Amino acid sequence: MNIQTIAAAGVLSLLLCGPALAARDYISIVGSSTVYPFATVVAEQFGKTTGSKTPKIESTGSGGGFKLFCSGVGVSYPDITNASRAIKKSEMLKCQANGVKDIIEVKIGYDGIVLANSKSAPLLKLSRKDIFLALAKEVPDPKNPGKLIANPYITWKDVNNSLPATTIEVLGPPPTSGTRDAFVELAMEGGAKKFKFIKAMKKSDKKAYKKLCHTIREDGAYIEAGENDNLIVQKLQANPAAVGIFGFSFLDQNSDVIQGSFIEDTAPTFEAIAEGAYPISRPLYFYVKKAHVDVIPGMKGYLAEFTSDKAWGEEGYLADKGMIPMPVAERKQFQDDVVTLKALDMK
Amino acid sequence: MQRTVEHASSAFPTLLDSDAVATQSGSSKIATIRETVGTPFVDNPRMTCRGVEVYYGEKRAINNLSIDIANNEVLAMIGPSGCGKSTFLRCLNRMNDTIASCTVKGNIQLDGTDIYHPSVDVVPLRAKVGMVFQKPNPFPKSIYDNVAYGPKIHGLTSTKIELDEIIETSLMKAGLWDEVKDRLQDPGTGLSGGQQQRLCIARAIAVSPEVILMDEPCSALDPIATAKIEELIAELRTQFSIVIVTHAMQQAARVSQRTAYFHLGDLIEVGATEKVFTNPLHQLTEDYITGRFG
Amino acid sequence: MKNPLEPTPQVCKRYRTEKAFKRLGLSAIVMSLCFVFFLFYTIIADGYSAFTQTYIQIEVSFDETFFRGANISNANFPALVKRSMGKIFPGVTGRKDTKMLSSIVSPAAAYTLQNLVETNPKLIGTTKFIWVLADDDVDMFFKGKTVTNVAESNRRLKDKQLTWLDQLVSEGKLERRFNKTFFTSGDSREPELAGILGAATGSLLTLFITLSLSFPIGVATAVYLEEFAPANHWTDIIEVNINNLAAVPSIIFGLLGLAIFINFWGLPRSTPIVGGLVLTLMTLPTIIIASRASLKSVPPSIREAALGIGASKLQTITHHVLPLALPGMLTGTIIGMAQALGETAPLLMIGMVAFIADVPGTFTDPSAVLPVQIYLWADSPERAFSEKTSAAIMILLAFLIAMNSIAVFLRKRFETKW
Repeated sequence: MNIQTIAAAGVLSLLLCGPALAARDYISIVGSSTVYPFATVVAEQFGKTTGSKTPKIESTGSGGGFKLFCSGVGVSYPDITNASRAIKKSEMLKCQANGVKDIIEVKIGYDGIVLANSKSAPLLKLSRKDIFLALAKEVPDPKNPGKLIANPYITWKDVNNSLPATTIEVLGPPPTSGTRDAFVELAMEGGAKKFKFIKAMKKSDKKAYKKLCHTIREDGAYIEAGENDNLIVQKLQANPAAVGIFGFSFLDQNSDVIQGSFIEDTAPTFEAIAEGAYPISRPLYFYVKKAHVDVIPGMKGYLAEFTSDKAWGEEGYLADKGMIPMPVAERKQFQDDVVTLKALDMK
Repeated sequence: MQRTVEHASSAFPTLLDSDAVATQSGSSKIATIRETVGTPFVDNPRMTCRGVEVYYGEKRAINNLSIDIANNEVLAMIGPSGCGKSTFLRCLNRMNDTIASCTVKGNIQLDGTDIYHPSVDVVPLRAKVGMVFQKPNPFPKSIYDNVAYGPKIHGLTSTKIELDEIIETSLMKAGLWDEVKDRLQDPGTGLSGGQQQRLCIARAIAVSPEVILMDEPCSALDPIATAKIEELIAELRTQFSIVIVTHAMQQAARVSQRTAYFHLGDLIEVGATEKVFTNPLHQLTEDYITGRFG
Repeated sequence: MKNPLEPTPQVCKRYRTEKAFKRLGLSAIVMSLCFVFFLFYTIIADGYSAFTQTYIQIEVSFDETFFRGANISNANFPALVKRSMGKIFPGVTGRKDTKMLSSIVSPAAAYTLQNLVETNPKLIGTTKFIWVLADDDVDMFFKGKTVTNVAESNRRLKDKQLTWLDQLVSEGKLERRFNKTFFTSGDSREPELAGILGAATGSLLTLFITLSLSFPIGVATAVYLEEFAPANHWTDIIEVNINNLAAVPSIIFGLLGLAIFINFWGLPRSTPIVGGLVLTLMTLPTIIIASRASLKSVPPSIREAALGIGASKLQTITHHVLPLALPGMLTGTIIGMAQALGETAPLLMIGMVAFIADVPGTFTDPSAVLPVQIYLWADSPERAFSEKTSAAIMILLAFLIAMNSIAVFLRKRFETKW
């Protein structure tokens, strides 16, 4: 009984001193796992060169990040959230409801989504239409245009005569991933639009259109390989017939063993993505709570570090890590937004 | 026979009355309650038991039992398995308290104090009524610590010298001193079975009890160790009252002054050991000791 | 004449069944051993190289012109590294080539110089030979973990860089050394700078909280339930619940911790104190169940002996029952701790799956733990992190083996025969 009393007292004292511990002298960042490898480099650089505490960065996914970010203002809530997509209307409303009135949106660069296979297999030259036909759950019937049928294609050759006769076997991210969202939106929807009647559906029945474009086949041709992109790279090496979907930085780091497929006759290279020639690329963002900028030590320094040319410039260290920088004018604009702390229009 | 019941009722009139009611209502399953024959009561008793009934939940294990335990005597309790002798023994120092379903009714007194009275604490009671178990159960500690444990928790000594003295005398009384005096720090569990049992006796007498209860103390021992314990019991009688439960009738005949025969929860007969074994009053006792059942 | 003791057909059949059963058991053990060896082999084969790191010697002249400003740390240390590299290869000119040249040393080289100058400002004005970390691509190349027979454009290291590296090797300016950094620093996004100390410290702090809460609470609960609790419905309900909790997926405890410790009590996210509390919730059922089992296994004769001599219930428990049950309780506790050490799922919910570069010093500093570090490194694009991942797994395994050995030792030490 004595032991229990002591334990209870211990828990109670924890309870009492809890709020007192909550003052924070480091930046707390949450959000997208795609932005995570870039934000962490900036955080580390910031910590090492200024002697401030290194910001803490949690990899929660874009949606999870907004959820935490929009929960309120105060030291127990994160200061910055990273996102591999822009903030949604519903998330803005949630932020407002919880008193997060002013947030600053900072676009930091682009990320290309690549389809890659092993070096030992032939290089694929795909169009977005090919991707749609190979991976969608329902595709237009080739014999009866305008009608939809369950995806009948087994090999890439069935999809497009110029492609090799290997079985369609694609390793990709699960639906919870931001990469998957971007992939279906940019590659699949982009391919579906090539069919006139599908494009017409967008106006007549938006829901059905979205469903058609965004639903990936479930008959085993598309294999959800988890969030770990390294694992996909390893599986591609072991199985030359397979094609993987992941972020550009993983291709960049493993270009000796895997090759990126051409999309619309464009190779997924750093330059092609930066110029906008490569069609499947998406912007990356982070969002800052204005109310925290003057409260949490180091906020201004971290923002300055991130928006400096040595970080996000063409020759910056983020480019070395595989992030595709924005054009100069765009960089300048967001740099100014950060300096003036220009809040996002929440209407 | 009629006399004994009157004796009991005159001593504890109210108790017996209420018990009689309980017996009538609760005993429908048991066909007959046999009354005790012989001489269950003595003059100047150490312990007195009147109208004791023990229940395990709904089941009654001992029926309306009355007996006295005299000073400086060895009382042997015999009877077939499951007759309630061990249960009764455990009532005498309230070891049955540890069994949740067990309830004890009736009156048991030690030196005139009701040991089941709410104001009585089991700790000093068990110091006065020590117990030795069927299987030798020394603590997994040194010989010294085994004997020292009782005096320590009861605060009998304040100095190490006093404690050493108690341990020496206790071990001497238990006839173990000469065998272990050079290795008091060895584990008690390293001794032979007979030595372990004598260590347990030493442990019990180290707190200077008045009564020692022994629950088949020799059943796990070989004949030589048994003989030693029996000798020891005879010596201990000069200082303590001893109640011993045994299965071996010869042992009862050898060590005890009085013998009580139990049968299916009833105390059938109590008398001087010699008399019970040579000329039993009750048919059941005779059947048992002549080996007709049991 | 027939031997009467010759085995009958039935006896022979009995022996055959016995043999078959023995073989079955043996093959099961051999198979699991094979799996264990395979696991260990792959991890060690992949991870042992992480304990060495490639270093490059550069000649640095700490010119005063570099340190004009009042603040030493504001000096352009990366430029100093670049210039020192240029000194080794005077023939390299052109913007692209110099960039390629300076990229064979780690960005960490600049931090190394910064640290040197900050701790010893007298260096300014002198010229020193200094070993700095090579870039992770160079390190991977020398460890044979890159494919070199592909077109230049597909390699991280270009042809020019390879010739420079050849030159460095022939001049004795490139060496593989023991990787001290791995044991002395926290997480980093540069693989050559990343270390396990931050996560290991985080694990220790977290486990300290877990142990100091779950052991006393667990043992007290077990003692109460086993020795004092009345046998009624409430006790039954509590018992069923404890057994259920032991089987609940650990992420549930993370959600509970998030709701209670962070949202309600307001404890800071991502800290060992919250992690420790959550893991306490997770390990308590294990400890309680193990403790109850070991209390049950104490022979009743010991209790009777103590009670018979007049010990009170509490004395019986604390003097005799607990010491005998302690080895079993400790074993249960250490198994629970080992479980807690390897857990990531509940920590995800309370924000411990995070990039934390600073080594935590107190219970309220943000920190990661070993399994989280493994998870994060396994998901990093840089190839050099794969060997770090395996090395971190080796460290975690070493921790686990050490903990289990302690369990065995304690059991042997406290075990008493009766």
